[in-house]
Amino acid sequence: MFTKQLVAIAVFLSFCFSNAQECTLVLQGKVIDFHDSKPLELAQIYVVQLQKTYISNADGSYKISGLCPGTYDINVSHYDCETKKITFEIGQNRTLNISLEHHISELETVNVLADVHDNHASTQSSTRINAEKIQEYSGGSLGDALATVPGVSSLKTGNSVVKPVVHGLYGSRVAIVNDGLRQQDQEWGVEHAPNIDLNTASNIQIIKGASALRYGGDAIGGTILIEPARVISKDTLRGHAILQGQTNGRGGSATTTINKYRASGWYQQATLTYKKLGDFEAPDYVLSNTGSETAAVNLGVGFKTFEYGASAKYSFYNSDIGILRASHIGNAGDLVRSINSRQPLIINEFTYDIDAPKQQVAHHGLQFNVFKRFAGLGKLSMDYSFQFNNRKEFDIRRGANVGLASLDIDLQTQNISLYGIADAFENTTYEAGIDYMNQLNRPNAATGVRRLIPDYDANKIGAFASLTHEPSEKWVLDAGMRYDRYDINATKFYLQSRWEDLGYEVQFAAFEIGEQGNQILTNPAFQYDLFAFTAGAKYLWDRHYDLALNLSSANRAPNPSELFSDGLHHALATIELGRLDLKKEQSYKVNATFHGNEGDLDFEINPYMNFVTDFIQLIPTGIETTIRGAFPVFQYEQINARLYGVDVHASYDFWTKRPAKEMKTNPDEIVDELTKLVSLESNISYIHGTDSSNGIPLIDMPPFQMETQLIWYNAFVKRLDFRLANQTVLQQNRFPNNNYDVSIPDDQGQLITSTVDISSTPAAYSLWNVGVSYAFAKANTKINLSTNNLFNTQYRNYLNRQRFYANEVGRDIQLQIIYNF
Amino acid sequence: MKTMKTMKTMKTMKKSILALPLVAVFFMTSCTDDDPVTIINEEELITTVELELTNSTDATNVVLFKSVDIDGEGPDDPVITITGTVNTNSTYLGEVRFLNESIAPSEDITEEVIEESNEHEVFYITSVNELTITKTDVDNNGNPLGVVTSFQTGAVGTGTLTVVLRHEPTKPNDNTLSGAGGETDAEVSFTFEVE
Repeated sequence: MFTKQLVAIAVFLSFCFSNAQECTLVLQGKVIDFHDSKPLELAQIYVVQLQKTYISNADGSYKISGLCPGTYDINVSHYDCETKKITFEIGQNRTLNISLEHHISELETVNVLADVHDNHASTQSSTRINAEKIQEYSGGSLGDALATVPGVSSLKTGNSVVKPVVHGLYGSRVAIVNDGLRQQDQEWGVEHAPNIDLNTASNIQIIKGASALRYGGDAIGGTILIEPARVISKDTLRGHAILQGQTNGRGGSATTTINKYRASGWYQQATLTYKKLGDFEAPDYVLSNTGSETAAVNLGVGFKTFEYGASAKYSFYNSDIGILRASHIGNAGDLVRSINSRQPLIINEFTYDIDAPKQQVAHHGLQFNVFKRFAGLGKLSMDYSFQFNNRKEFDIRRGANVGLASLDIDLQTQNISLYGIADAFENTTYEAGIDYMNQLNRPNAATGVRRLIPDYDANKIGAFASLTHEPSEKWVLDAGMRYDRYDINATKFYLQSRWEDLGYEVQFAAFEIGEQGNQILTNPAFQYDLFAFTAGAKYLWDRHYDLALNLSSANRAPNPSELFSDGLHHALATIELGRLDLKKEQSYKVNATFHGNEGDLDFEINPYMNFVTDFIQLIPTGIETTIRGAFPVFQYEQINARLYGVDVHASYDFWTKRPAKEMKTNPDEIVDELTKLVSLESNISYIHGTDSSNGIPLIDMPPFQMETQLIWYNAFVKRLDFRLANQTVLQQNRFPNNNYDVSIPDDQGQLITSTVDISSTPAAYSLWNVGVSYAFAKANTKINLSTNNLFNTQYRNYLNRQRFYANEVGRDIQLQIIYNF
Repeated sequence: MKTMKTMKTMKTMKKSILALPLVAVFFMTSCTDDDPVTIINEEELITTVELELTNSTDATNVVLFKSVDIDGEGPDDPVITITGTVNTNSTYLGEVRFLNESIAPSEDITEEVIEESNEHEVFYITSVNELTITKTDVDNNGNPLGVVTSFQTGAVGTGTLTVVLRHEPTKPNDNTLSGAGGETDAEVSFTFEVE
């Protein structure tokens, strides 16, 4: 052993000495910032062959002398910078300038989020959901995870179709951007959930306003940005695998994400998810036909260095979702029976089978990205994406049509965008971009049911520019504007009687193409000019307090459903009619965000106001009788809406002193370490929405809600955490009266006039959830055991479209095993 | 060697950067299809409910109750026509027909109802005193179906007769609408006069 070391030293010394005489070459140069070419002081230049480190001077200069002719490897590192490896050859004295990138956030090397209010360089109201939270919801839906954010709630159809509602608005008023790609999955429908696998997200940012102009100016409710895991430039394999099982639905999910990175810049990413659930159960009965099955694949490959990169990604999402059997009804009389019975009229044994009524959705996304960075300026990137969405809905049908979809729509969307950011300047960042979208909607003609949404071609071309200015460390100012030109060209058959009844034969005679039987073929075509702007200011007192004020204004063009809907809706027994003469919506929203951090207390208060002129909503206009019976008619109309509300988030940590085991220099010394004992977190959301044209409340406004969570850390043993959470939702007392009367035959043959109460809101409820989690193996593996709705509380949710038919799900015990690598 | 590789990568990169717009343009232009939009006629639509009553002792005494809503879910209300007279203290053979007359030739949906008899039932509810309606046909399981009926009239009287076709009702049931459940495929009320 000893001799070996001696030999090694001898060899080493002889190597040094034998080369000493010829080694007089000098390498010198400057270490500079890639962005702004400023010198970097205290950069460390480690010469691998010499095992020696040199430090750069105040002007960035360095000098390495005593080099021999030959090839050397050096590692250049600097505080906040990624280490750069350079191999160079030297035959004579030479100069080598080294540029490093010191904006670590832009470099995307690490992704440590200090708190949820991390977007300090922007005035918009935004909240982030971190990876840990996302992992907690591995078996849930995107909507479930989003609903944990104050100000975000869910519009549900049953328990599997969950649509995010941001500050009271949803559907096409909320843009979902998945990995930089605006999701186009027929989001206009109330019972259409986003076709996105939550498990592909590494973090999610929710912007509660129209200020994310890069992704479109029409998101007057908000924008949800789903971001995948960031690319790391080192040789490593990262990822996780999560297994989850639950008693309610008697199923579970499995998901795994594997990210392979190379120091050369090449990387591969993959996420696979599979989820299967049977019928959910309410406290007293099975919610028949509410099972679901979801499979998702995400694959990505790319090459990324600091200066340039390219990537290609493919994602596939497929979901079969059963719709509560009892919620498929024939006419208004059936609805009255359902409402009065207080429990579903069809309750079967538990099953994993999914029968009609059900939804089958498939979403394919293909995207390519290239980017290039320019020294001293910024970054230019270009994206192309292709999305194909197919949606099938199966109703209860008769004869040869059993098993045939009633709705079968292909939606194909292509996007191309060019985006530039100039972030090299001291105080100001500029952003600009142009994008073009082409969208084709093609409903299948073989369904035997008239098309809910017609064939259409849509094009959208837009451009935006924005800037963020930080005149001092105390102020952030930002502003931006966007313009989009949207045109839609549809081909649609109307029933002649409907076309005439709506007065379109006079108003839109120009759209008529021809007549076939009792239907009329039309070609409605519309153009909309959409403007959006945003401006804001933020003041930071010190490290602890900041106040931001953001104003955003946006236009939204009416969506295809609002323009063209035409027919019977089986879930609510209503006839829904679009309106061809809808104008664009115009929203003005003010968000104020006050964030404070005082000791162990962290809080954020976010009051907001949103005035929407020409707000598009469904309004009851009368009753129509068909052979099936009577139906209320709802038509889209435009009113002025006023929404205001407040979101509050607060957390408080209690700490405890424990005698430390480590770091004792002498046995008599007592060293304490502080550890988190208990954390208390609370979210409150309140919203007040009014149809100011008619002086009545807006429909479907989320009721007052409060969530409180208490976590006890390291209970009994290290890394064993207990969690107790309560969700209290009050009754919504502000709702429009949309009740209507209908004649229903009673069992004695008399026609009885009954009021169909579709307006009243469910009572307040309070749910308790408990959980315990234990992390081991250096915290890489975690087991969560949790119970939701601990007391099996019976309740109904105002924002669930199935509240007329059944209670919400009862107690659910979940076990989850997370393995991170 | 390493620099060579990087160089190569850069070249590939530049190539792909150039190729992207071309690929995009190709996709953007190649995916349009211009198939004509074809008309869809509602296949399961019931536009017409016909109840024909034939006096069992007098074949010329035929009463027809008819409700037609030719535009289906459209705004026009059903048109009701009643021809013939219902006599007192008589027995009638009743037959109900469900038709789709929005297409030519019209489709007789009653056939499907009979084919899928286990998933269907026709209900007759009346407020007319002394009118008794009996279902005389059965489904494949031997439960009442209600396409064929017997109407027994009594004294003079007027009231309503409601004919309801239910899809996937509970079978067997207590012959009431509330007890049967299922969803309503057709529901028509006629004025019923016994003279």
